[in-house]
Amino acid sequence: METRICILLLSLVALGCSGCAIFHRHAEQPTASSDAQPSPDGDKSDTPPTVIEPQVERREIKVPTIHASNIELGAYYGEISIQDFGAQPVAGLRFDYHISEDFFAEATYGRAKGGYTSFETESNILSFTDAERRFTYYNLSLGYNLLPGEVFIGRNLAMTSAFYVLGGMGTVQFAGDQNFTVNFGAGFRVLPTDWLALHIDVQDLVFKSDVTGVEELKNNLQATIGATVFF
Amino acid sequence: MLGAASAAARDYLQLFVVQPYLELHTGPGRGYPVTQVVARGESLDVLMRRTEWFKVRTERGIEGWAYEGDLQHATLADGTAFKIERGDRAGFASHRWESGVSAGAYAGATLISAWQAVSLTDNLKLEIAGSQYLGNLSNGYLIDAGLAHVFMPEWFLSPFVTLGGGYERVEPKPTLALPVSSNNQSAYVGLGARYYLGRRLFLRFELREHEVFTNQNSNEVKNEWKLGFAFFY
Repeated sequence: METRICILLLSLVALGCSGCAIFHRHAEQPTASSDAQPSPDGDKSDTPPTVIEPQVERREIKVPTIHASNIELGAYYGEISIQDFGAQPVAGLRFDYHISEDFFAEATYGRAKGGYTSFETESNILSFTDAERRFTYYNLSLGYNLLPGEVFIGRNLAMTSAFYVLGGMGTVQFAGDQNFTVNFGAGFRVLPTDWLALHIDVQDLVFKSDVTGVEELKNNLQATIGATVFF
Repeated sequence: MLGAASAAARDYLQLFVVQPYLELHTGPGRGYPVTQVVARGESLDVLMRRTEWFKVRTERGIEGWAYEGDLQHATLADGTAFKIERGDRAGFASHRWESGVSAGAYAGATLISAWQAVSLTDNLKLEIAGSQYLGNLSNGYLIDAGLAHVFMPEWFLSPFVTLGGGYERVEPKPTLALPVSSNNQSAYVGLGARYYLGRRLFLRFELREHEVFTNQNSNEVKNEWKLGFAFFY
């Protein structure tokens, strides 16, 4: 009896499995038959042929730009001998643009304060106010790197350097007047790194003035040290 | 593909030496000694540029300065030529920016002028200039902006004409009675010439006639001339 029940159950399971397969084939058959059926229009179908588009993202290659480092910006400090008014501290800002390996353009702005003339010292009569003693100037110059070279400190450290000359023009505001000024001088630049430069400069600022009663050329020698950063 | 991927990830431009060898100097100038040589086929990373010199790093990690005239023979990673904007005649004829400084006279007063220009085309420049003049009776400032048309920019000596307007500030000297500063609008027309000196430098000479619109019954006409140096980049 038990054997018959087992046979019956197994038969039902077998029938069910075959039924699934039948249903499965039945479900696929219409699709397969529809694909197999020829188109009513035959080869003259309007359906365009399918082009397979490659799903590849186009890579954008960015060519790295080259950083140009021709601009120098910095400050200086030193001493200026204002003719007839004694030697006084001077401080200023400088901006350089290196046009080529030989030439550079420079703009400077400096300030100092004139001392007392010998007449004022002896007579105790002050001829100028504090504001008039303010010595303010700017210069626009063209420089030439005359002697490029290297500075060696010890056995392992070498720094590029250049001895340069420059000349230009500008104005000086002093003693209640503003004068056209010609400047010329020389300097030495040493670069501990590619972006830092140390300077030693000597310049003469020459202008014509009658501040002491007689119109004459005034020579104002200045010696400064400074530091600039390349951008 | 690997080459392209590595090029895309690079921080510095990579160049390949094509000529038999490339000299590297210790500094950005012909006066600095040559201490390294890079052989044909080796690659370089370009770290920075200063004037006509490029600081490069070799495959072996050695750094030095290469001259643009030597590097113009190098190629990029894809084999194309490395193009450099140089300060030669071609650069003089076609460039983006100009700066310059001039000295001269404005209505008899000594004039100092600095100017900046941007090239709209090789022939047409948009200019702005700031000037200061120092006279016997008055000092003053000028700010001008205008257009300059350069004829034959490829010539060594190329003429140009200018047209523009601006402001003039007059500061009479205190030796005059009741000195009063004034600001006036002005317009100018001018002509001049530029002469290529070499290595990005050129001379520039210019004549201008300013029509200054004053508060008086008639306008003033002031003449200006100036000569100076300029450079392009």
